[in-house]
Amino acid sequence: MKESVVSAKKPIKTVIGPIHPALKEPIKFIFEIDGEKVIKVDLAPGHNHRGLEWMATRRNAVQTLYVSERICGICSISHSIAYCRAIEQAADIEVPVRADYLRTIFAEMERIHSHLLWAGVAALELGFDTLFYKAWEVREDLMDLLEYLTGNRVNYGVLQIGGVRRDITPDQHARINKSLLNYTILFDELYDMFLEDTVLRMRCRDTGVLTPEDALKLCTVGPVIRASGIATDVRQDFPYCAYGDLDIKAITPEALAGEVHGDVFDRIIVRLLEVKQSIEIIQQSMKKMPIGPLTNFPKLMVLLNHIKQAEGEGIGRHEAPRGEVFHYIRLAANQESPLVWKVKASTYSNAMSWVKMLEGEQIADIPIIVASVDPCISCTDRVAMVDKGRTSIFTQDDLRRLSRKKTERIRQGLK
Amino acid sequence: MFRLPMVPRVLKQLFNKPATNPFPARHLPKSITRFLEKVAAGKAELVLPLEVPEGFRGKIGYNPEGCTACSLCARVCPANAIEVNREEKTVTVYAGHCIQCGQCTEVCPKNNLFMTKEFLTATTDRYSEEMVLT
Amino acid sequence: MTEIFLKLIIGVVSMTALGIVGGFIIQGVDRKLAALMQARIGPLLRQPWWDFLKLMRKENVVPEHAVPWVYNAAPIMAFASVITIFLYLPFAGFNPLMEGYGDLILIMYLLAMPALAMVFGGFASGSPYATIGAQREMVTMIGYELPLGAIVISFAWKMAQSGLAHPFSLKTIAANPIWNLVGPFGIIGFILLLLAMIVVTPAELSKGPFDAPEAKSELAEGLLVEYSGRNLAMFYLALGAKMIAMLGLTVALFFPYTISQYFQVDTTVKIVIEVLFYIIKIFLVMFVSVTLMRVSMARFRITQIVEIYWKLGGTMTFLGLFLIMLDGKL
Ligand code: SF4
Ligand code: SF4
Repeated sequence: MKESVVSAKKPIKTVIGPIHPALKEPIKFIFEIDGEKVIKVDLAPGHNHRGLEWMATRRNAVQTLYVSERICGICSISHSIAYCRAIEQAADIEVPVRADYLRTIFAEMERIHSHLLWAGVAALELGFDTLFYKAWEVREDLMDLLEYLTGNRVNYGVLQIGGVRRDITPDQHARINKSLLNYTILFDELYDMFLEDTVLRMRCRDTGVLTPEDALKLCTVGPVIRASGIATDVRQDFPYCAYGDLDIKAITPEALAGEVHGDVFDRIIVRLLEVKQSIEIIQQSMKKMPIGPLTNFPKLMVLLNHIKQAEGEGIGRHEAPRGEVFHYIRLAANQESPLVWKVKASTYSNAMSWVKMLEGEQIADIPIIVASVDPCISCTDRVAMVDKGRTSIFTQDDLRRLSRKKTERIRQGLK
Repeated sequence: MFRLPMVPRVLKQLFNKPATNPFPARHLPKSITRFLEKVAAGKAELVLPLEVPEGFRGKIGYNPEGCTACSLCARVCPANAIEVNREEKTVTVYAGHCIQCGQCTEVCPKNNLFMTKEFLTATTDRYSEEMVLT
Repeated sequence: MTEIFLKLIIGVVSMTALGIVGGFIIQGVDRKLAALMQARIGPLLRQPWWDFLKLMRKENVVPEHAVPWVYNAAPIMAFASVITIFLYLPFAGFNPLMEGYGDLILIMYLLAMPALAMVFGGFASGSPYATIGAQREMVTMIGYELPLGAIVISFAWKMAQSGLAHPFSLKTIAANPIWNLVGPFGIIGFILLLLAMIVVTPAELSKGPFDAPEAKSELAEGLLVEYSGRNLAMFYLALGAKMIAMLGLTVALFFPYTISQYFQVDTTVKIVIEVLFYIIKIFLVMFVSVTLMRVSMARFRITQIVEIYWKLGGTMTFLGLFLIMLDGKL
């Protein structure tokens, strides 16, 4: 690192990432630092492009379902819900009510474990190892529950286009209720440990502030925008699955403190309250869930043929723990694999808010501010430029031109 | 007020049992292979991993008897881990490629494919005998 | 003259051994206790020794942009200065080896030496992370020197006021447990000083929550980021030994009591009892001021560290000093 020479006047240029203990996934931040203060921020993602969308064009819809699950290890249900809904819209597939409820239950369980995971990571970034261990210990019960219900701790493989693969049988209710009760009790403890700790509050209050205006302008999603005081939530605004029948309100920090700072602490509040909300949603859904089939396509080959015949496009949205995920699918007749599959992960919308949050903050707060967005870098990376080893910078105009070109290609149904 | 809610908790935890399941042994043995040999010889004790629940999707299992090579499983396998041998009327499942989604086990009309409860499948050779099922 | 030399040589050799072995043990106990409090099993007690061995076997990398001689000298300087402190510290009721040659003020300066060595090493390693870490370490030092200084002054003032000779000498302080000299106000004052000392200890030892100079998740070990192999092992030794020195100082200042006089046994047994008692004292102080502190708090920002030491630490120690003076005048 040549640019590291200390000088009294010039700000130091420091690079954090792509590999750094504060980052759980590869992304590069370029900081200009004056003493302890961050002057300028630039970020360079693109170290973890996996070409998943390309893989989908070589697989049929059912195979792609499992690819979609692996976009993110934490939001695996979220991505498959969005993917399934996109395909279901494109191919006109009806989902039974019970399946919708089951999807809701699994999605909310995922939200609980994702938020707890985040809480642990946040504590780790703050140098609070004990809280990190505690949060992950608490999370373990839910992982066990998910394993019990779906057969795996991660990548649950429980969704299917047109329904779900596994039911929740009455004899499983006892185990679920036990966990939910456990979490209702644990919630108070988490509340105490995260929100009543003076040192934690000292570190998080008024750090990484994102004003509501910026949050809207940068199109942030999920807990990030809600922590800035704007009550948007796909589950509330555009109900899907069983969310329409349930009582859901987007959570903002006002609910607790009566005021909104839009800082890291507010993001902790929002996520913690959402854990509680998810517990309630699961309880409601378990009560309201009707008896019925799990899918209208019990034979997988029938489903595959139906999708093969179908033509059209569909979108699927889902409020993932990190914010809205969005999937776009275009199906062509007599073709097994989707023509286009476009995925927008939540971090993609949130990434630019980092610049606003980080500028003017201290170096010490970089890790927690970066983590406060709950980033999922590899889900976000959609492009890798391979140009004979040469990487170039694309301006907005370049990108617009390229995307118009691609849209035109899609419109013509060509690959 | 200055509050540290963690202090009473850590003091209490000091006298509680740690949350860790000490698998395979309380402290990492110098060599796992030698440790397992010792376990086999009855000289050391293996701490078992936690029980997996009913319906757990572990390593894939395959029973060639009655397989018709209908290739339905290969068609839905997202990892392309299944190879159909038309002449022998069997399939070859590469467990090292399998992502344990369990889709093939559901689609197989003869129930020749199934998920086992085995999950300790780490190996240095993904094409070793245990990892290629025929 | 030769007598002093002989004493010095024996002292240095035995103190080095004590520093190394004691450092390993105390780090092992600290890690184990921290692990248990975090619901983990934790490492074996001899883990620090293994870590040290492993580091000694690793390659010793000197980064391209480093200033090699400062970079390589820093760990040795850190370790040597800690061992020097040992020569002036009373252990387990025995008089310090170099008794009569140095006092509390000297110890205060010697305590700053390892930190300074780390700062030099950090700056010399030429990495931006290490540079930021070194800057932070300096700021932290400026922060905790104020309460530490106030503590030292309070002790000396009380000793002088009680009419004892050599008020700055640790021998005097060790021989006259402070709690016996003061009245109720003074006791409150010294309790405040003890609290301040507990808060200063983690920063002296670069432990959480005052480990901003090393901040794992921010600076990737900060000023030690470039160190590896032998040099890093040396720093580990120095940090372990410094832990003993710092805790030994706390014990010598606040809990210099001995218990062997209550037992009717011969001298060797008395020494054993005394050493065991001292070890217990050290571990107790360590548990409160190092282990408990680092597991129960999030890391402070560097600005907050300074604020805590100047505002909270400063107020606490000066209030303590004031109470002690008030007590002396009454
Ligand atoms: S689906 Fe079953 S019967 Fe058909 S090829 Fe696969 S294993 Fe054989
Ligand atoms: S379990 Fe899934 S990945 Fe494994 S062989 Fe079956 S279909 Fe393929």
